[in-house]
Amino acid sequence: MIVSIKDSFKLFGIFIITCCAVTVCNMFLNYYLDIIDIESLINNEYAQIFYDAQIMTCKVVCAVSGGCLLATTVVMLFFYIKHYIDSHGKEIGILKALGYSDFRIARSFSVFGLSVFTGCIAGYLISFALMPSFYELQNEDKILPEFSISFHPALFIILVAVPAIVFACIAVIHSMRKLKQPAVNLLKGITKAKGKNIEIKNKKNFIADMKSSVIRNRKTLVFFICFSSFCFAAMIQMSASMKDLSSEYMGIMIFIIGVTLAFTTLYIAVTTVINSNSKNIAMMRVFGYQTSQCKTAVLDGYRPAAYIGFFIGTAYQFGLLKMMVEIVFADFEGVPEYNFDVKMFLITLAAFIVVYEGIMLIYSSRIKSISVKEVMSE
Amino acid sequence: MIKIKNLTKYYGTGDNRFKVLDDISLEIKDGEYVVVLGASGSGKSTLLNVVSGLEKSDSGSICYDEKSISNMSEKQLTSFRKDNTAFIFQQYYLLPNLNVEKNVKMGADLYGNKDYKKYIEAVGLSDKLKKFPNELSGGEQQRVSIARALAKNPKVLFLDEPTGALDEKTGRLVLDYIIKLQKEQKFTMIMVTHNSNIAETADTVVRMNSGKIIEVTKNQHKKSAYEIGW
Repeated sequence: MIVSIKDSFKLFGIFIITCCAVTVCNMFLNYYLDIIDIESLINNEYAQIFYDAQIMTCKVVCAVSGGCLLATTVVMLFFYIKHYIDSHGKEIGILKALGYSDFRIARSFSVFGLSVFTGCIAGYLISFALMPSFYELQNEDKILPEFSISFHPALFIILVAVPAIVFACIAVIHSMRKLKQPAVNLLKGITKAKGKNIEIKNKKNFIADMKSSVIRNRKTLVFFICFSSFCFAAMIQMSASMKDLSSEYMGIMIFIIGVTLAFTTLYIAVTTVINSNSKNIAMMRVFGYQTSQCKTAVLDGYRPAAYIGFFIGTAYQFGLLKMMVEIVFADFEGVPEYNFDVKMFLITLAAFIVVYEGIMLIYSSRIKSISVKEVMSE
Repeated sequence: MIKIKNLTKYYGTGDNRFKVLDDISLEIKDGEYVVVLGASGSGKSTLLNVVSGLEKSDSGSICYDEKSISNMSEKQLTSFRKDNTAFIFQQYYLLPNLNVEKNVKMGADLYGNKDYKKYIEAVGLSDKLKKFPNELSGGEQQRVSIARALAKNPKVLFLDEPTGALDEKTGRLVLDYIIKLQKEQKFTMIMVTHNSNIAETADTVVRMNSGKIIEVTKNQHKKSAYEIGW
């Protein structure tokens, strides 16, 4: 077995994302399944409007957050598989040279489904831990008849077992596609598919050339950095609005999920950028490029993606909340008017600038610690 | 002029501590071509790394025209390398995602050299400007690394087994390029090799064994890359 169970635990990005996705989805879906049972007990129009709004909220939240995080998990899984094949090319090449079939090697990638399983299990348990307070908040004015938390085995299957199996299969199929290359290429470390040599236009200097090359060769990381700042912007601003629209509890929950997702994806992206460029950085330093120039070449190219992600996240949370207030809760009394919170936007933007640039500074010290002897270590 | 005085370097700690450079003293004149010869483990590569400022010594001094690099900080050493040195390694270490032109630009930019294409021409790779390292043979990759090193117009060029990964024909070709360019541009060149035939092309040969210099000889009749054995 080339990919071990231990390797699957290194995929903590997938663990975190699936954990967050299942926490949110299970909480809302469980609530949804519990309140549809009491629909027949609703006997006034006001309660019916409230009920319909809650049903719609559950559907929207699960579709949006679940869908979004599902897509991100798939991208992250593909990224981990490619990264694994790139970094273990020699071992895989030897196995292929010895006669192991692509399927036999790819089969071992199914253990990546374990990280999805553990993330889902963790999310499932967390959601049950949070459910009592969540249920209480959802019906704190006692508009709906009393109902209690029920266990729905179908949800366990849909949110834990099915994702684990599906992702294990996706891992095998995707790795089989990636393994379709000559053993000698893997042995020599030429894991790049044909056409991967991406020509970039001549820039005014080498640093600019390098910056473009780093981005073009790791496009998935652009997505991760964009997603990271998207989560930061959307969830923090949304959590602030939640105090007025829903409850402080919901605000705190959204804040924690947003910050966790943002930092996890940013950490994965930046660490990968630096690790995959460590030899290039070392060579640049051998030739006399200073740490700040190496940082510019390797990290600064991602800045526009980070800020674009931030603004998309801001627009997304505004659009989503506006839709919830004006469509889902349109007939419901007592819901405050929702407008774009400029003050919160500016505070979040300032926090984002400080956090993002601070993290980049921390990583420049990581660049500094890369030994110039790295290039001679082979 | 490079003055190396009583240079000592250890690797490891405690019981595993061993001396890799043992009281090395040497003087290298400007424009001189020096070959450091020795078997594997003799300390020749460590000497190259320490003299070039890639590694620090434990004691002793290295002066470039009276300017000592021994006590420089990492930042100062980087700046020193930028202004004075260039490197050619056995494994080439080209940047894999950049084409030939951009790899050479890496060296050229440090010197503000806009006319870097002449170095690519000098190593006979004008028709491969847009090729990526994985599309080149070993000899071609090494020629790119020569162009990259020379494009920064170094005062001292350090070479660590530059022909070690090449076959005889390509090795001679690469060595010939290097020697010709050194003659033309008159930079100081320090080459580490285990191939004693290459020593016949140098002005000075420094033989090392167990971290010590055992012999320094001057070549009266230097040979070209095509006159030596391999």
